[in-house]
Order: sequence, then C-alpha cells, then structure tokens
Amino acid sequence: MSDPAIHLDDLRKEFMLSHSGAASIKTLLLWWKRRTLERDEVLRGVTFDVHPGECVAVLGRNGAGKSTLLGLLARVIKPTSGEIVVRGRIAPLLELGAGFHPDLTGVENVFFNGVILGLTRKEVAERLDRIVDFAEVRRHIDAPVRTYSSGMLARLGFAIAVHVDADVLLIDEVLAVGDYAFEQKCYAKIEEFKRNGGTILFVSHEMQDVRRVADRCLWLERGRIVDEGPPEELIPRYEAAMARPTEGL
Amino acid sequence: MRSEIQELWRFRELLVSMVQRELKIRYKNSAFGFLWSLIVPLVTVVVMTLVFKFFLRNGTENFSAYVLAAYLPYMFFQFALLDSAQSVLGAIQLVKKIYFPREILPLSLIIGNFIHFVLALGVFFLYLLAVWVRHPGISPFRAEMLWLPVLLAINFCLAAGIGLLCAALNTFYEDVKYFLSVILYVTFFLCPIMYFSEDVLYSKMVPEGQRELLYTIYHLNPIAMLCTAYRKVLVAPGPIKQGTETIAPIPLDWGLLGVTAAISVAMLVFGYWTFNRLKWRFVERP
Repeated sequence: MSDPAIHLDDLRKEFMLSHSGAASIKTLLLWWKRRTLERDEVLRGVTFDVHPGECVAVLGRNGAGKSTLLGLLARVIKPTSGEIVVRGRIAPLLELGAGFHPDLTGVENVFFNGVILGLTRKEVAERLDRIVDFAEVRRHIDAPVRTYSSGMLARLGFAIAVHVDADVLLIDEVLAVGDYAFEQKCYAKIEEFKRNGGTILFVSHEMQDVRRVADRCLWLERGRIVDEGPPEELIPRYEAAMARPTEGL
Repeated sequence: MRSEIQELWRFRELLVSMVQRELKIRYKNSAFGFLWSLIVPLVTVVVMTLVFKFFLRNGTENFSAYVLAAYLPYMFFQFALLDSAQSVLGAIQLVKKIYFPREILPLSLIIGNFIHFVLALGVFFLYLLAVWVRHPGISPFRAEMLWLPVLLAINFCLAAGIGLLCAALNTFYEDVKYFLSVILYVTFFLCPIMYFSEDVLYSKMVPEGQRELLYTIYHLNPIAMLCTAYRKVLVAPGPIKQGTETIAPIPLDWGLLGVTAAISVAMLVFGYWTFNRLKWRFVERP
C-alpha cells in the first residue's frame, strides 16, 4: 500500500462564536458591554486517510463541519489540535469568481488563478490553450470577465483547477458545471485525473454526483465521522437518516 | 520570522503577479490611465503655488519644485497606507478559500503604489529639466541626487511596516482606516509640504533658545524628515522668501535622517511581526 495522499489524525477545530456582531474598537473600549464569546467545537477528532487515485466524498448536514474540514486541508485555517499531512500540491476548486477580477480579461485571470494555485507564469502559458479550449471560451478570452455569463465563469474556474496538475483536488459543492454536455466533460476529466493518480476530496449534497465519482464516502455528523463505506452502501443509510426529522440538533 | 520570509520568497511569483494585476486594474477603465497619477499632484501643486505666491506673498524661486519634491512622496505614503489597510478585507473571499502568504495582499498594493511614485519622480525630473531651460542657474544635475535610492529605500520600509500593521489591525477593527485618514490629514500639515522646514527652525512663536529643539522634535516624525530630505536631495537649495523676509536654506541633517532610517526599519520589523502573529486569525475573527 502506498503512502496516503491525505492523512488526518484526531483533527480538532474550535472556533470562537460571537454573540454581538462585528468586531470594532467600540467592543474593545466598552468593556462593560464586552461581547460574550463562546467556544464552538466544529471538528471533534477526525481521523482518516485518502490514498492516491482515490475520490472521497464527505456527506453531512449543514453545520456538520464539512467546509471547515476543507478549509483545514487547504491550509486556510489552522487546526486546534491533531495532525494533517497532505502529500503534493493542493488545489481548491474556487467557487464562482472568488479568484477572478471582473475588470481583467479571461487570459489575465487565468494567469492570476494559475499562479495562485502554485504554477509559475511559464507553466500557465504552456497550459493556456488547453484551459481555454476546455472551458470553451475561446471567443471571449480577451474580454473582461465581467462580461462573462455565470456559466462561462464556472467553466473557466473548473478548467483552471483541473489543469494545474495538482495532486489533491478539493471540491466544495461545485463538481460539474454547465449544461449536460459540459457536465459529461467534467466527469470525464475527473476520471482522467483519478486515473493519473490524483486524489479528490469533495463535499456535496448531490447524491447523484457522489454515486458517480466517489469511491468511498465519509459521513460527518457534528464534527465526527459516524459512518463510512462505498457510496452504494452508505448513501441509502444516509438518505434514510436525512428523511427522519432532525433529532435535537 | 525567518521561515515566514522564506515562505514569502517561495511565493514571489504570486507577488509579482499581484503587483502586475494591481497596476493593470487601477486605471483599466479610464481613458487617461496613468496620467491620473500625475494630474492630481500637478493640479494640487499649481493651486498651492498660486495661493502661496499671490495671497501669502511667498517669493521663493522655484516654489512648485519644492512642493512637488515633498508632495509626491507624501502621496505615495498616503495611498500605500490607505490601500493596504483595506487589502485583506477586500480579498477576504480569496483568503477564505486558498492558502498563500497573506502579507502578499498589502505588499502588492504598497509595491504598486511605489512603482507609480517612482514613475511620477521620473516626470518630476522632466519638470526640473524644463525649469533648467528657463533658469540656467537651477541645474537639476546634482551630486546629492545620488542619495535618492537611499531615501526611497527608507521610505519603502516605513510604508511597508505601517502598511502591514494597518492591514492586520483593520481586518479586526475597521475603525483603523478612519483613524488612519484622520492621522494622515493631520500629518499632511505636520510635514514640510506647503511650507519649509526652515520655517520651523525660525518660527516666531517659539523663544530663540528652544527653536533647535522644536526643529529636532518636528523631524522625529519620519514622514516629515523624509519630506525634508527629498527636498534637499532633489531640488537645488535657494533662499526662501516669505513676504519681506529672506531665510537661508539649512543643509540636510544626516543624524536626524539616520534616526528616521532606524525608525523605518524598526517599523518594518514590527509591522511584519504583528501581521504574522495575526494573519491566521483573519478568516476566523469572531
């Protein structure tokens, strides 16, 4: 067995929860009105491995800690305790337009996003044609992206993320984008990425997506993994639990 | 701090890209583009020169050059700080999604403003050449000009240090940027831009024996010291004429400039240190 691409050991994350709005000097000065802070343990000891070439889907209700998990893997937040080891380069699939500047052209945005995902500008230049062709935005690539439709933006974002040759792809909700034909292209690309040894961790509420690409599912509930297994086994159990009224959550 | 600098070096390509993006975005949708970086100071200087020459009877030769030599660095300082204070909050969507050294956000804005400033200095030199053609006595080619890179380096350290500090603090307390604009407004009058540092030394309001002290305290403000130094280095010194009075120019005080250099480097270290301490909490501020 090869070394895992992602290794998590007893990962915990606590956030401070504020009850009185945004921070300001006011809250520093008005000590008698000091806002109350409460600890909120979002992840309470998560342990799992993901192997190269594997695609793992994380299921769970809103607030179960899925996005926090992705944030920790993307190194955007630091864990309170526990261990994270990710081998190779991670590329989060940026949600619509997070990394795009509306006034810059498609090409300029591709360069910027490629560099932020860890490529050099030379490497982006080598991949530019493939990205543009994959996203099917050739005709508009020199126009500012504020003129793009949301579909075009989503396609371009997806195309960049899958062409940076990352070792681990993190996907939050948006797995396949665009119309039916483009969706098929996305799935084909994801399969290709997996065949080449790429690892995917994704979070989705779309069970169809999960069935289609995931090799394994993890069920996250209130910061802990409560169940795991292949999608055909886990999804029925998960859906049955979701159909029941929430139990005191 | 060493590991942080190494990490920043690893991401230098991103820093360069961000600076390029910054320069492209700024004037992307305006017809005059970079000219706006020149028009604003030029209009200010023309207005100031007219007011001082005609209403305040300031007869100093080449007055506009003195104003520009101090106003251009002040403008760089002002925009660099105001921009970097907003830098992290402005890109918070990106910061929440993807890892990169967060200091790249304020640094790219400071470097972008710095490049604009250097270009503006280039145009300022053309102005000095034009003055030279009309007044052959005022030559723009002076040995003191060789000190310009040193001044630029000090200026950059100071702006980067305070900029990093403001960027980190403003992410938690948005009062910082309002506070900053007030401070910058006050500092504008506490810097020798509309008047001369010589006016401070010969102030009539202060008894004779304490003028030196006032002059020293005044120049402990690093921005004021830099404004004075830019003037001494860039513009040929000439007598200052206020109404019926004439004041001889004072040479640059290198000791005070040394103090400013030390303050600026200390500020850079302190700003970067503070930023690094706070940067992991940007996305999880309560």
